[in-house]
Parts: sequence; C-alpha cells; structure tokens
Amino acid sequence: MAKESFDKEIQFLRLLALTGGGYDRQQFAGRLGISVHTFDKTVRRLREVSGDADFADLFRYGYADSAEPVLLFLYRAKSMKESESRRLPLLLTSLKGNPQTAAELMDACCEQLPPDAVMPDEKTIRSDLRYLEEIGVVRREPGGRPYRYILNNDLTDCLSRKELIDLYEFVDIMANTQIPSVQGYLLRDNLKKALKAAVPEEEWDDGLLEPFSYKYHYDARILDEAHLYTLLRTIRLRTRISFQYFSPKKRKSYAAKDTNPLFGREGEARRESTLPLKVVYDHQYGRWYLIGAAPKGRFVKFRMEGMVDIAEEQQVPEPYFTLKKADLDERMRFSWLIDTGETVTVRARFYRPANGQADFIEERVRLQGQWGEIVEETPESFVYEIKVNGITEIRPWLRGFGSSCEVLEPAELRQSFIDEWKEIADYYDASV
Amino acid sequence: MMHPFEKIFSYQLSSRLEDTGVYTLTSQERSWLKLMLEHPAAAEALEPRTIEKLRECTLDDGMPDLTGGLEQKAGSREVQTVHPLLGELRSVLRRRQGMRLQCRTKKGKLNDPQPGIPCKLEYSMVKREWYLHWYNSATRSLMHTRLCHIVSAEEVRMARSRYEELSAQAQKRIAEGPRYEATVEVIRVFNAELTRILHAFSCFDKRVEFDEEERTYRIHLTFNGSEGEYVLTKLRFLGKRVKVVEGEYLKNRMRMTARKALALYGAEAEAETGADAAGAGYAAAAGPDVEARTEAPSSADTRPAEPEGSGGLASGA
Repeated sequence: MAKESFDKEIQFLRLLALTGGGYDRQQFAGRLGISVHTFDKTVRRLREVSGDADFADLFRYGYADSAEPVLLFLYRAKSMKESESRRLPLLLTSLKGNPQTAAELMDACCEQLPPDAVMPDEKTIRSDLRYLEEIGVVRREPGGRPYRYILNNDLTDCLSRKELIDLYEFVDIMANTQIPSVQGYLLRDNLKKALKAAVPEEEWDDGLLEPFSYKYHYDARILDEAHLYTLLRTIRLRTRISFQYFSPKKRKSYAAKDTNPLFGREGEARRESTLPLKVVYDHQYGRWYLIGAAPKGRFVKFRMEGMVDIAEEQQVPEPYFTLKKADLDERMRFSWLIDTGETVTVRARFYRPANGQADFIEERVRLQGQWGEIVEETPESFVYEIKVNGITEIRPWLRGFGSSCEVLEPAELRQSFIDEWKEIADYYDASV
Repeated sequence: MMHPFEKIFSYQLSSRLEDTGVYTLTSQERSWLKLMLEHPAAAEALEPRTIEKLRECTLDDGMPDLTGGLEQKAGSREVQTVHPLLGELRSVLRRRQGMRLQCRTKKGKLNDPQPGIPCKLEYSMVKREWYLHWYNSATRSLMHTRLCHIVSAEEVRMARSRYEELSAQAQKRIAEGPRYEATVEVIRVFNAELTRILHAFSCFDKRVEFDEEERTYRIHLTFNGSEGEYVLTKLRFLGKRVKVVEGEYLKNRMRMTARKALALYGAEAEAETGADAAGAGYAAAAGPDVEARTEAPSSADTRPAEPEGSGGLASGA
C-alpha cells in the first residue's frame, strides 16, 4: 500500500485553526488550491475522525479555554482495513493481563468475531503480534516456544491511584508547555482511560481530566510535528531531501496532485531540494522552520508549514555535514530567530511604569530579551543592549512595548520606528 | 522511531476500544515521557519513588534524539514549569474544599489571609508562570493571583453545601464578567503576510472574514478584560500591518501609544504638525504608558488600568 499522506488534511486544519472557520466553502477551497468537491470530501473524512464535531465551533477559542488539543485528531486519521479494525481490539482485549500464544489468540478471535466476518489465519495473527510488539504495545513473555504475549501496560499498572493522578497532571503540563507534544497528548488520552479504570465510579469527577488550563497557546503548532521526525531523521542520517514548497506568501497553500484529472489544471509548485541542518521552533508566532544548506555556502530557510511531499535523497559525507552544521551554528549564535545576516548592536531605552506601579517592564525584558543585557539603570528607565543578526526579527518584539521603549541604536532602526509610529498615528487620527 | 501517524492511534481502533477499558501504550509515548522525566519539572511534580518506577518502565524505550536537530527561539525564559504550591492547590480543588490564602502584593506588601475557594489553575505561555483564579468569599470577588505571590494556602474544611453555594457565586461572577469585541483589519498591502498575522492572533477567540470585493481580511476578536492588554501588545507587535477598525477602547489606546512613542523620539504625528497645542501637551505628558501589563492584575479588579483620557474598556462592550 502506498504511504498515506496527510498533507491535505494538515493544510486544511491549519487554515481552519488560523481563521476560526470564518471562510465560506468557496474561499476555503480557493485558498487551499483544491476544488469545492475535494473540500467537501475532506470535511466529511475529518468529521468522521473527529466524531462529527462542528468544525467552526471546534476552532473558536472557548471561553472555558479547555486544555483539550483540538487538532490532535489529525494523528488519529490513519486508516485501517475494516477486518483489521475488528480483529485488533479483540487481540488487545484478550492480551490484557493474560499471556497468550498466537494459536490461543486465533481461537479467541474466531470465537468472538461475528459469523459472517472473515476468520483470520495464524499467519495474520502472527503478523499482528509482530506489529504490536514492534511499537511496544505488547511484550513477549520470557520462555521458549510457543511464545506467549501480553499487553504491556506496566507503566500504568505499577502506579498507585495517587501516583497515576500525579502522572496524568505531569503529562498534561508537559504536553501543553513543552516541544514536541504530540506523543504527550496521545499518552494523556491513554492515561485518561487508566484513570477511569482506577477511580471507583462513585468517586469519579470529570475535573480529574482537566486539571489545568493554558493561556496564549499556539494550537496549530502540533500540526507541524507531523514532519518533525522525518526531518530530524534526515538530519541524523545526513540525507538530502526534496519536497514541494509553497511559500506562505503565495495565496495557495496546497495544490492537489494532478494524478486526478479533476485537479489537473492546478499548477504544480516548484520542487526544492536541500540538506537539512536544523529545525527551529519560533515561540513568537508558534511556527516551525527548517534550515538547510544550499550550494555556494548559502543557508536556506523554509517554513515547515509550506513543505509537502518530502522525499529522502542521497546521503552526504559526514565531514561535509559537520562543516556546514558548525558554520550554521556559528552564524546563528546571534539570531533572534533564524536571521543569519550581519550582526548589529541594538540599544533601546525602556521606561519603567510611572505612579509607583510594580516594574513589569523590566520583568518582561528580562523574561523575553534572550541574551540581551541591561547595561544602564536609572529609577525611571534602563538601557537594554543586544548583539543580534539583522534588525528585522527583533523589531516586532521591541515595538510590542509601545511607548515604553525608545530605540537608540542603530540609527536606521530608530528612524524606522519613528516612521512607523507616524503611520500608525495616522491610522487612528484619521478615524477620529 | 517516533512516527505520529501510527495505525495504533487510529480513531477506528480507539472507538472500538472505547468501552472495553483496554488502552495501549506505545514505546513512542514512553520515549516522550522518558525525555520529560529528564526535565527539572519532573522532580517537582512527582514523588522520587514514582519517578523511579517510571524510569524502570521506560528502560527498554529509546530516548528521542532531539539535540542538535531541534532548537527553540524567541521564547520567554522558562522560569517556572511546575510551582511547589500546585499540588496543594490541586488537592483542595479536587476535594472541593475552602482555603485561607495569604498573598503578597506586587510591591511585596504582605496582606492578611483571606478566605475563599480555588476556581482554576492556569498557566500563561507568555509569562511562563502559574496563576490561581479564586473566589474571595469575604469580599465576594473573583481574584487572579500569581502563584509566586502566594505566601501560604491552607485548606479549610467546608460542608459540601457551603462549597456549592460559593462555587455558584463564583460562576455567576465569571459569567457576568464583561466580554469585549474588536475588529482588526489587515492593511491590504500586507495581505501577503496574512499567515504570519493570523498566527499572531491564533491564541485568541477569533473569526476571520475575507471581503472578496475589497480583497480585505478582517479579524473579529472576542476577549475578556484581562486579555485586553495582551491583545494590545500583539497589535503593537504587528505595527502598521494591522489597524483596529472597531472597538473604541483599543483604538484609543493605539492612538495614545503612537502619540506617546512619537513624543519620545521628539517627533510628532503628521496630523499634529504645526503649532498644535494638543501636540505640545502630549510631548509634555509623555512618559511610559501602562501597555505592557499583560495579565498583571492580582487584585480583585481584573480590568486593565486605563490611561488618562482613554474611553475605557466599557465603550468597547
């Protein structure tokens, strides 16, 4: 079977998550570069996976801001043959706390499957067991042939109820605050079931499942974890890749393959090729980048959300990779994000809040100012200084402080702030 | 090998297993946990004995190799992932009990202990810090306090009926809390940067509308009082790319910011050049405004502070 690709679903969900479901079908399909027909088909498929939720509602940030990761269902979209989806649950149920051989499992399976179902042979059962063992879900018991297998739930079985609650809360915190998080969210879902089994019904409280909430969180970040491990693998193996790239500045973010005559008219994006060196997660916007090496010593940067249909190409020699990687690390030492341009020193004066308020300005500069330093302090203000590659990436952060920040150097940045504040003043003065 | 699209995660399988009480734990989930156990937060959140058991159960699972390949940038320093009071407060919440809470003010003054019930523990990804939402039963008000400002939290046994009564009062206050609406327009020449702009607003309750005729994107935002300051920070962050077209409070604040910022640089807005008395007045009054107060309030009043002369949040309601 061809490897299932989720590129379409990812692009689709990202657009939904970013727009809060505000586009109509036509606009949506247009932006994705697919037909309305494909759009409807994708909606139907995702609805099925997500349990028929209303999409628009799903992507509005609820007032009760739940910690449930709405986009996780993408990772539940892998399809399965009908016969397999009936057989595997029976195997897993039989293997819970009860070591069994393949032959015993086959009997159990045949007994429980409806009479009209296709009965599995021992070879099928063995291949199921191999798969389950490979992904660590079942484990082979010690002893000779015939081998006996058991469901491997040691992780939850060895814990007391109190410990299980502690673990659930820990996983909840880490999945929500750390990168990467998809596996954490999947584990969290399984721990929910472990909790339900451990807590007696009369003591059950739904509050156990949502112990905390998280504010100002970038939901769509988990969509890019779909490509994360592929890319990390190619970095580890020093392998070049090729992929289709949709620059986020283009209107269309996904073009259907022209294997289907219906979509033949859609333009194909250019295929890019690079040697992956590093993946960068940007906390400012909740976005991911891939940085790769291009010919002539250049570095190229791609937004991971624009990369689809990634294919591994040939390996490069280790010394070549090491050289490129060391060069990149050096060039990125002063990147606010990923800029590898010329290093400049930025100096800005920050004004402390007046009226005897607590100094949240300095607190915020220390929290978010990366490796920059406070070099001068007075009761009213302080000067922050940082060596940084280019002024483009730090600019929004400085501007976010509004009139509590005055850029001192470089002159070019100072002037651009004056010009921009003038423009902004015009927006609002004109509207009086 | 981490591969998040594994058929074991398929909804077809999980829906069949739903009512059986059977669940599956894969080695990639254990590997992820193994990685998280290395984080200093683990020792704060879990008993040493639990950590030991979990380490034992993940012995056979590989450690995801992220070093060298993955880097995080432009984040807030991770000051606090787990706070020591978290466990205590969670257990009061779970048991539905009352508490006496003693807090320091932002300036360090110690307040008298106050009675109340905890409502919700919340982590801010911006501040990288925990907050407690609670109901003060003496002043009958909703509070929002940084955990680092709480000196002590002592459980107070409380009859279930009393707890329910206080909880209902708190819910009523929450439901009554004002919600604000504003519309932000993407300035057309910056349409190419749409995804970046949408990403910046993606942590808010929003709806995006596209006007085909004018080729203009409008973002409708809904937020509560304590989120207002962060919306403002994002607007300043994006600068000239966006413009508030509806919502008087935000418009006023943006106007103030631009004028004050220009005064800092000794420049004036185009509209105010000339011997405009108001312009001179602003230069004289120029000083830092209170814009960076993201989620700062820890008093009962969760409304952002209003600078002089602004219309106040109420006008945006």
